[in-house]
Parts: sequence; structure tokens; C-alpha cells
Amino acid sequence: MGLNELIRSMFNSWMGHEGPEGDIVLGTRIRLARNLRKLPFPRAAKKEHLQQVTSVAEEMAGHLQDFGTISYLKMAEIPLLDRQLMVEKHLVSPNHAENPTHKALLLRDREDISIMVNEEDHFRLQVLFAGLQLNQAWQSISALDDCFEGQVDYAFDEQWGYLTACPTNVGTGMRASVMLHLPGLALVGQLTQVLNHVSKFGLSVRGIYGEGSESYGNVFQLSNQLTLGHAEEETIEHLAKVTMQIIEGERQARDFLKQPDRRTSSEDKAYRALGVLSHARVMSTREAMELLSDVRLGIDLGFINNLEANVLKELMVLTRAAHLQKVMGQNLPSEERDRLRADLIRERLAFGTNRQLK
Amino acid sequence: MLCEQCGKNPATVHMTKIVNSKKEEAHVCSECAKQFSGFHSGIDFSNMLSSMFGQPQIGTACPTCQSSLTEIQKRGQLGCSDCYETFRQELTGLLRRIHGTTKHMGKMPEKGYARVKAQRQLQGLKEQLQTAISRENYEQAAELRDEIRRIEKQMDEPKQEN
Repeated sequence: MGLNELIRSMFNSWMGHEGPEGDIVLGTRIRLARNLRKLPFPRAAKKEHLQQVTSVAEEMAGHLQDFGTISYLKMAEIPLLDRQLMVEKHLVSPNHAENPTHKALLLRDREDISIMVNEEDHFRLQVLFAGLQLNQAWQSISALDDCFEGQVDYAFDEQWGYLTACPTNVGTGMRASVMLHLPGLALVGQLTQVLNHVSKFGLSVRGIYGEGSESYGNVFQLSNQLTLGHAEEETIEHLAKVTMQIIEGERQARDFLKQPDRRTSSEDKAYRALGVLSHARVMSTREAMELLSDVRLGIDLGFINNLEANVLKELMVLTRAAHLQKVMGQNLPSEERDRLRADLIRERLAFGTNRQLK
Repeated sequence: MLCEQCGKNPATVHMTKIVNSKKEEAHVCSECAKQFSGFHSGIDFSNMLSSMFGQPQIGTACPTCQSSLTEIQKRGQLGCSDCYETFRQELTGLLRRIHGTTKHMGKMPEKGYARVKAQRQLQGLKEQLQTAISRENYEQAAELRDEIRRIEKQMDEPKQEN
């Protein structure tokens, strides 16, 4: 798969366009954990149980026509590199890609709906939206959930709600997240304070690839922690409110960075980053993420005008290891990848102003 | 040394994990270390969970998946949906410690839970009725009362689901 093809496939998905509050909120994601009654959860299940679940999923693919083109994929039949690509695109969890035996995936062609089969739970339904679209995401995933429920018997308890393999997900089984880019707060030195504050509201902050992942480039994932005791709408509203407050804080920080006495140094930082990205020959993931963050802020602050903001969001995914290897069609040692990453960024920035690819 | 995961890149991340005084070592490249994030968290979650369960009852096993409480603690996960019924008592305390509550307030399946839904709706309406009465908003109270009666009548009709 060539670079153009990869980029084109991104245009169709949540990564390819800006959503509401897109200058700060890169994307919204909601997942629901669902299980079938009477069947052991995947980790305790035998081969035949797992096969039972995958055959239910395969059949489900046919019942989901209302949601567009959804394909049923066996994870074990997908090459490792493509599975890693799916992790980088947030379509599956690292665990789902790492141990593919008896695991499957239902995937919409636009890659905004994915259902992991036999991950920690029988089904992990997920929707991805560009920008801040929590309500839309909830409506969309709830409709998908209703469609599933019409065909299967969910494990549900009147008192405890949807039953999941891990008791931390019991109840709604819902994890709603927003992906935030907060370079302004980081620059004015308030980021730690804001993120600490957030945990007092029952929300958790993590790197963009979930538990234990790093957060280079000031990108964070904010999500609800608790799943029992509140209706989904309530949880979402709460997350939305806190998100709006963080957005407000980030906007204030950005205004501050534009003030006459700060302007030159802010502008300098953005253009230095652009300079390095446009000319460097070797680039690690971490450096790339940090510089892309600086350039993106420069665009959002109105300093850099000849680049489309979204190119940066796209590059944050495109320059990940598996994506690079996909472009080259082979496995690469990490020094090679760093070189290729630098090449790709230069190339992409050079035609960043013109998004009409052949 | 080459990465144990991908076997392609040099292993630059060396991790040691000690679980139940058993030592495990892993040597992977930095990319694999990132992707396979299991090693990142300092806390072994399954152990954390088992410490929250309290004293396990010996002997009882889930009739559906045969999991015992000891196994569940070791796994850090329940075996199947019926484990929730089998170990209801133990789990009540655990869920309260995790979530601070034990009552699901969210969505319910359409199938088989119409009655539960109606009950929940009734409860909400009755609370609203009390508020309306205490505010002497009798017009609203009358409307709420009629609505409550309508739902109660519906629920008494014999065509039950489940």
C-alpha cells in the first residue's frame, strides 16, 4: 500500500477531517462491553465457546446492513503488520492484535465502527468520531447496541446492569473518551494542575493508546472511570462538561500566548518546529509528536497559514511504526524507520497545502 | 540481543516483573514495549482486585463455568455472567468498593426487561409526584397520578414477558 492510498483511506475516517472544537479535541470515542448469557468470558472460555461467539459475530455482520458496509474479519488471518496498523488507528486494542487466535473484528468500511470479538469481553463495540461529538457518538453506538441486542441474549442483571469479565466495567459497560491536544496549557505550565484536577471528578487521563501508553506531543485521552450508578447520558454529560472546562482553559492559555509580549517567542517555537520537520533527515516518534504538536499550535494560533491543520493530526498516526512499514511494504529496523519518518513528514508537509491527491 | 517479541530490532527495553515472588524477565525493542503495554503499569491489577475481594469461600464453584472464587481472584476476571449470581454476596462488597454504589441506572435490553423498565419509570414518576405535592403544584400532581395509574394498570395486565 502506497503513501497516497494510506492517506486517502484516512480522509474517509475520523482522522481525515476536523470535527466540532477540532482545534483542541481531536476525536471522540465510546465503547461498550457486552457479553452473551451463559457462555464463559473469553479468558475463561474453551475453544468451542470462543468459536460459538465468533460464529454469532459472523452472523451479526449480515444483520447490520442499516449501518453500512460491515465486514467480518478473523484476526488470525490478518498479517501482524496490518493488525499493528489497526492498533495505531485505534480500531483494536494492543491485546487484540497481539493474540489473534479465535479473535475477530467487525469493521465498518469507513473505520468509524469496530467491534472486537473475544477480547476481554465477548463483544467490545466501539465508535469513533472526529472532534467533540459525545452525544452523536452515544446515539450511534446505542443504536448499534440495540441492533445487536435484537439478535442475541446479553448477559444482564437487573441490579448490576451489563455483566462484564472485569467488575470495573459492570453496569453500563461504557467507556467514553475524548482525545485532547493541550499544548497551550503545557506551555503556560498549567497542564499538570488541570489534569490532576480532572481525576477528582471521577475521570481518568491517559496517553492516546490507552492504559500505560505514553503521551508525547501534549495529546491526552480523557475518559470516565466508573460504570455503575449513573445513566450513560449522565456520564457523557459529565465528561462533556469537564471537557468544555478544559477547552476553555486551553483557549485562555492560547490567548495568553498570542499577547504582544509572548507572541514572538510563541511564533518562533512554531516555526522552529516547522523548520526541523521540513528539513530533518532522522526523526523518532517522540520528536515527531512533539514537533507536530508545536506546528499544530502555530496553525491554531494563526501564525502558520499555508498548512492545513488536519495534516498534523493525520501525521501523528501516519508516522507510527506500523504505518511506516506499511508504506514501505516491509519490516524495518528502527533506524530505518526514523529515516523514513523524516522523509515522509517532509514530503507530506511539502504538499500539505494541496490535499487533492491523484 | 534481539527483541523477544518481533525478533527484528535490538532489545533496548529490559523489564522485570515479579508476581507472587516468581520473577519474569522480558527483553524487547522500544516499539514492542510501546505496543504491548502490559508491562507498563507498575500495579498488577489482578492482585489488586483479589485483595479487594476479601476472604474467599472455599469450595463453591460457578455451576456454568466451574470457576471458583480463588480462580477468579487469580485471573482478576469473572468466568461468566453466572459467576455474578454464584458469588453475589462477595461481589456486592467489591462493586461498592470499586464504584461506590451497586445500582445500575443506565440502559437496559429491550427484551425481557420491559417490566423492570416500567418499575424504574414508576419510581421516577412517584418521586416527581412527591415533589409536585410538596410544592403544592396540584395540577401537575394530578397529571402525574394519572400517568402512574396508567402504567400500573399496564403492568397488571397478564401478558407478561420473561
